[in-house]
Amino acid sequence: MSRNEIAWKEQPKFPSTHFVDTRIYTDNEIFREEQEKIFNKCWIIGCHESELPNAFDYRTFHHPGGAQLFMIRGEDMKVRAFYNICPHRGNTLLYDPVGNAKRITCIFHAWSFSPKGDCTDIPRGKEGYQERYGCKDASLREVKSEVGYGGFVWVNVDDDSCTLKEYIGDALGMMEENLSMPLEVFTYHKAIVNTNYKLWHDTNSEFYHDYMHYFNRITGMMQPGYFDRKYKGYPNGHASVGSMAIKYDAYAGSQERAVGWPGLAPGGWVLIDLFPGMTFNLRTSVLRMDTAIPLGPDKLIIEFRGLGLKSDTPEQRAERVRDHNTIWGPFGRNLHEDLLGVHGQGLAMRERSDSKWVLHGREENSTIHDEVGMRHFYAEWGKRMGRQASDPFGDNKLA
Amino acid sequence: MTPKQLIDELIYRSSLAMDSKNFTGFLDLCDPAFRYAITAYIPEIRKEMTWLEHDKDGMKVLFDNLPRHNSDHSSLSRHVTVYTVEQDEAKQQAKTVSALQVFKTSLDGGATELFAVGKVYDTISMNGGNPKLLDRNVRLDTRMLGIGYHIPL
Repeated sequence: MSRNEIAWKEQPKFPSTHFVDTRIYTDNEIFREEQEKIFNKCWIIGCHESELPNAFDYRTFHHPGGAQLFMIRGEDMKVRAFYNICPHRGNTLLYDPVGNAKRITCIFHAWSFSPKGDCTDIPRGKEGYQERYGCKDASLREVKSEVGYGGFVWVNVDDDSCTLKEYIGDALGMMEENLSMPLEVFTYHKAIVNTNYKLWHDTNSEFYHDYMHYFNRITGMMQPGYFDRKYKGYPNGHASVGSMAIKYDAYAGSQERAVGWPGLAPGGWVLIDLFPGMTFNLRTSVLRMDTAIPLGPDKLIIEFRGLGLKSDTPEQRAERVRDHNTIWGPFGRNLHEDLLGVHGQGLAMRERSDSKWVLHGREENSTIHDEVGMRHFYAEWGKRMGRQASDPFGDNKLA
Repeated sequence: MTPKQLIDELIYRSSLAMDSKNFTGFLDLCDPAFRYAITAYIPEIRKEMTWLEHDKDGMKVLFDNLPRHNSDHSSLSRHVTVYTVEQDEAKQQAKTVSALQVFKTSLDGGATELFAVGKVYDTISMNGGNPKLLDRNVRLDTRMLGIGYHIPL
């Protein structure tokens, strides 16, 4: 029997940890608060060290808290991160997403900076500012950065944050061996989707949606071991999913992977979600890394990176590229379906669309179709936001 | 028709076939040794990328599998202009460069938006006056492709 308005809005018959109010996906006030209390406090992946192989190489990054950053490798080969903004009149310092700059010079008035963030030149500084202002007052704003866990460049705009090691804890332990050798980004693309960033991370945090993927149903769900995969939660909202052997040749036109990954069983697939929007997805021959960057409550950039081993032969690399793009490239079989799903959620859960609840209620002993991954995320989200995801404004009168 | 006209018409017919999702018709325009790729240069990591790559059999499998997948059903309209045709009479082949713009039209309301721009590099087997596509490289300038697409361009 269908439901009327009252029944539609009735609280789901689950504990309040097992559903969320859809306003957490649409409300602008909540989004701004997330930028402040979550994204500006957490360690976020800005790029990978292989994107900055040489001294003075830089890479720009739109930080999900809102700041525009760039990461640059100094002459001492240390990677540092700075606001990409000239302290003079607020111009963007580095326009290209990638490049090499021994000296960073603002195009507007030629103020110059070193890769360590020191101001090195203010044209006609003495004439204009006399002794009142000089290079010593005009350094760039540096943000905390560390390179680690597979060679990723992590940034944190909170000067008082915990260390990266404290933030990650044991969450990446399952991939420790897999990430222990030098890696290299071989593909990168972005997608802008009209949806909330948490919906993307939710999709990466539950495998029940394998019903959406013909490829995963045939090569995974119908194969032995699939329903034994288990979720494990870690402090700070991170979670991991255990492996199984994917049967790639079960999909017409596909074949068993010729290239594997050190420390991963043949056909293996492990996944680790890091709060608040990063996913390490190691599937047999390829590591995919997603970074969710919200632009608003209903707009999201996702950065997709595919990585292989730096030691790859050209043949191995070509195989990894093929394996990645067959399912995860912009014309891949799976990525389009995942993006279609969160695009549809964005359409259905617009403000005023009278959506009310999203269910996270499946309990299957933390195995693959259990929704514990999402529940674990929202426990951390609630702690950091000081709001309950099931009652974010305290007006739901939950039982 | 002149060889140049035959080549132009082959390229335009291949776009018409794909626009109308007439995949059998598209494959009929391809040589048995046909190879297809979508490529791009990715400046953020300073690397070349091949996003899709198939031979003729692989293209057929891809088309056959489409109904089993969940896909965006918006239609694509491929606007192709053949810029250059270089014929190699000794090889009985021609190489062409065409400009490509792809527009996506939504099913709900029919709004059209630009999906991708790039160039198409074709190698054509002249096949004794019945030219066939031997190799196609859809070289994209556009790399931000929204939610992506399951059907080749």
